[in-house]
Amino acid sequence: MLSYTIRRLMILVPMLIIISFFIYGGLELMPGDAVSYMINPEAAAELSPEKLDALRDSLGLNDPFIVRYAIWFKGVLKGDFGYSLSSGVPIRDIVFDRLPATLELSFIALILSSLFGSLLGFLSAIRKGSIADHSLTVIGMIGVSIPQFFFGLVAILIFALKLHWLPVGGRLMPEYVTYWDRFPHLVMPSLVLAATMTAGVMRYSRSSMLDSLNKDYIKTARSKGLPEWRVNLVHGFRVALTPVVVLVGFRLPTLIGGAVVIEQIFQWPGIGNEFITAVRGQNFPLVMMIALFSVTAVLIASFLVDLLTAVLDPRVKLS
Amino acid sequence: MGKIRTSLLSILMIFLAFGLWAGGQQASEPASDRQIEGLNSNPLSDYRVRQAIAYAIDMDTIAETLLEGKALAANSMVPNGPWKAEGLNSYSYDPEKAKSLLKEAGWVSSYTLDVVYYYGDQLTVDIMTAVQAYLGAVGIKMDFRKLEGDLGEQLWTNPSDPVNGPSYVKWDMAYAGSAALAMHEYYGKLPTNGPGNSHTPGNPAIDKLVAATKATANIVEQQKAFFALEEYVNEYLPLIPLYYQQLFIYESDRVNRNGGAYGNAQYNYDWGILDWTVEADSNGKHVLYTNTAPVEFFEHPWFNPGLNMANKVLFDRLIVADESLMAKEGQLASSFKVSDDSMEIEFTLADGAKWHDGSAITGDDIKWSIEYALKVPAIHSVFATTFKSIEGADAFVSGSADSISGIEVKGSKVKVTFATLDPNMLLTFSQFPPLPKKYFENSDPLQFQQNSFWQRPVGSGPFQIKTVEMNDYTVAVPFESYYGGTAKIDEIVMYPSGENDTNVIKNASAGKLDYGFTKSVADVKALEAMDNMRVIPVDIPYTRLFYVNKFPKP
Repeated sequence: MLSYTIRRLMILVPMLIIISFFIYGGLELMPGDAVSYMINPEAAAELSPEKLDALRDSLGLNDPFIVRYAIWFKGVLKGDFGYSLSSGVPIRDIVFDRLPATLELSFIALILSSLFGSLLGFLSAIRKGSIADHSLTVIGMIGVSIPQFFFGLVAILIFALKLHWLPVGGRLMPEYVTYWDRFPHLVMPSLVLAATMTAGVMRYSRSSMLDSLNKDYIKTARSKGLPEWRVNLVHGFRVALTPVVVLVGFRLPTLIGGAVVIEQIFQWPGIGNEFITAVRGQNFPLVMMIALFSVTAVLIASFLVDLLTAVLDPRVKLS
Repeated sequence: MGKIRTSLLSILMIFLAFGLWAGGQQASEPASDRQIEGLNSNPLSDYRVRQAIAYAIDMDTIAETLLEGKALAANSMVPNGPWKAEGLNSYSYDPEKAKSLLKEAGWVSSYTLDVVYYYGDQLTVDIMTAVQAYLGAVGIKMDFRKLEGDLGEQLWTNPSDPVNGPSYVKWDMAYAGSAALAMHEYYGKLPTNGPGNSHTPGNPAIDKLVAATKATANIVEQQKAFFALEEYVNEYLPLIPLYYQQLFIYESDRVNRNGGAYGNAQYNYDWGILDWTVEADSNGKHVLYTNTAPVEFFEHPWFNPGLNMANKVLFDRLIVADESLMAKEGQLASSFKVSDDSMEIEFTLADGAKWHDGSAITGDDIKWSIEYALKVPAIHSVFATTFKSIEGADAFVSGSADSISGIEVKGSKVKVTFATLDPNMLLTFSQFPPLPKKYFENSDPLQFQQNSFWQRPVGSGPFQIKTVEMNDYTVAVPFESYYGGTAKIDEIVMYPSGENDTNVIKNASAGKLDYGFTKSVADVKALEAMDNMRVIPVDIPYTRLFYVNKFPKP
């Protein structure tokens, strides 16, 4: 277990380097650069090529791709993630400013969707063929099929504009003092995000549970005379959770990377919104930092999923 | 009989020869007059083709349908009003005339026009689709595509040879908008090798007409020069004006301007913000909700001086304009005096004018602001033209002088002397906000926008920043030491958005938007349907057009 952990952690470093290089290369392939985004086309018409060149030079955009990547990478090794090309604000400050907003949204959504998705999937499986199962299957299919933006807009229309129960969007207001003051802003985006994710977890959980219920060890458990709840919950559900954990595990880093659609609809000032702005503006130090953060999270999540799988499923051995 | 026949034949030959000569003269006379000697391998270099395109597009129908009656078909770059020449050809929809002009010009039907645009909205795609259909109906094929990447380079790079080309740009027509602060901006891209002239071969006639508009500060003379230029452009269509777009100011029923004027909200004018009132909320506070708060940084006001709320209320100008953007009276300058020849202007700074940090606004700040602006990468072209016209500006920009000799500061007086006449000098000083020098000392002008000042700017206007939660909200409160009095509104709360706020309808429906402006037709329709909102249309100088590439293509 220990050697496995060390080996996986050591693989992380070269993987991060390779992935960061490809992301940097991908940005390089995009047409234009940060200056072409910063300078309005009408203003660019008035600027001499020399002035534009000087501006590019001042932002370090005139160096060859490989030199720029090397400079950026060297900075990262020293813990210097650079400055936003558009605002001049340190990248570290931007990320740490936006991260809490994304974390509170994504963690609530993840916890709710994992909890409800697993339980509803479990109930659906043990009541296979019942009205409850059919209803949950239909609800699940609808949940999987409805795009987040549509779900979000309908929720705004009903709960904010018609019923006036919740605010239309945003996260903070000038008059808020405590966390609970702004809690109403969190309700709708997190529930909409959770609802769309719950459907997927429920479908996974149901099929996994059904698969588990047909296994020999379940029959063995029943033949030992164990109560049905214990057979289902301890022997069936525990193993059935494995693919669900994999799904949830891999969702975590993508949520940290930003629930882009939800953040856009609910004017939620998180990492997803920031990432979109940075990509549009070719603000490569910021894009790289957010991307690196997400990639690291994915790699760590993958590692943790492997560990958890081994804990949950006795058949899995780490080697 | 034979002799008679010979004589008749000779007379006929003489008449025929004369006729041919005369015909030739008739044909060559208008040719010279109409500048078609500029014809080259590009079919769009023939003005008849451009006229045909104008006749082929039914702009009235497009304005009525796609633009839902919120735009007017344009027959000039200059909007309707005192600056527009009378009797211009409107190129009303006439496909038969278009076909006949194309035939006359020898249009090759296999040629496909490459039309580009850079707007990301669906309306643009719809308009392009309509234009494609209209042109197709008269036998002109057209493809359209959205430009991505370095738009400035792809749209406005001048050719190496500004007279004969070939063009650097690859397109035939570029769909764009021109939101002019000064009328001169409309035609700024037409002169030979002018900035951004990627499309019009050098033409002394155009150069002369454009130069005439800048040669005088006398309004009547300027108008005459503009009329002549408009008539020329109307006939030969080096640009094809499409439609005039209106601006729509929206306000909630909580707001009362108390007589404050409505004008071109994209710029700054005396809108009486000090007297605005807003109904009190449940806490008894008078809070005005609006948009355009910063997402990452406050956009500096030297390029878009009045596009967002912060730039309107945080900064004052030396002169204040009226709602038609004509210089009205002093603002930061309690008074100003222009010399008879318009080559000098002297400002007297207002007593007690202070920056929001409490320090006094000095003549040195004014001089520094003008000098620094000349070194900043992108400032408004009208400002740049004014500042470059100041005596000694060239030497300062080239680095051979430490300061601009034409700006003289003596106590509270700032005198600016011009080397060349700039007819828009008053316009510039009514829109250009000076900034406090001390926050920018030893900073690189190339990194102007990246200066930490723009995370929480210190201004000179009636409101100052209270709170900035970047990408969440910004709160501005009245500046208690403002030399012009104190505003009646307690707070202005701004939500982050760009110029086109995608959340207008949502926030207005929820009662969280009291003021803003838009050019989005769809938003206007929705706002008009709301009981709590009113929409005020404003005619602004904003013309959508096709730039036409008349150079031989690369």
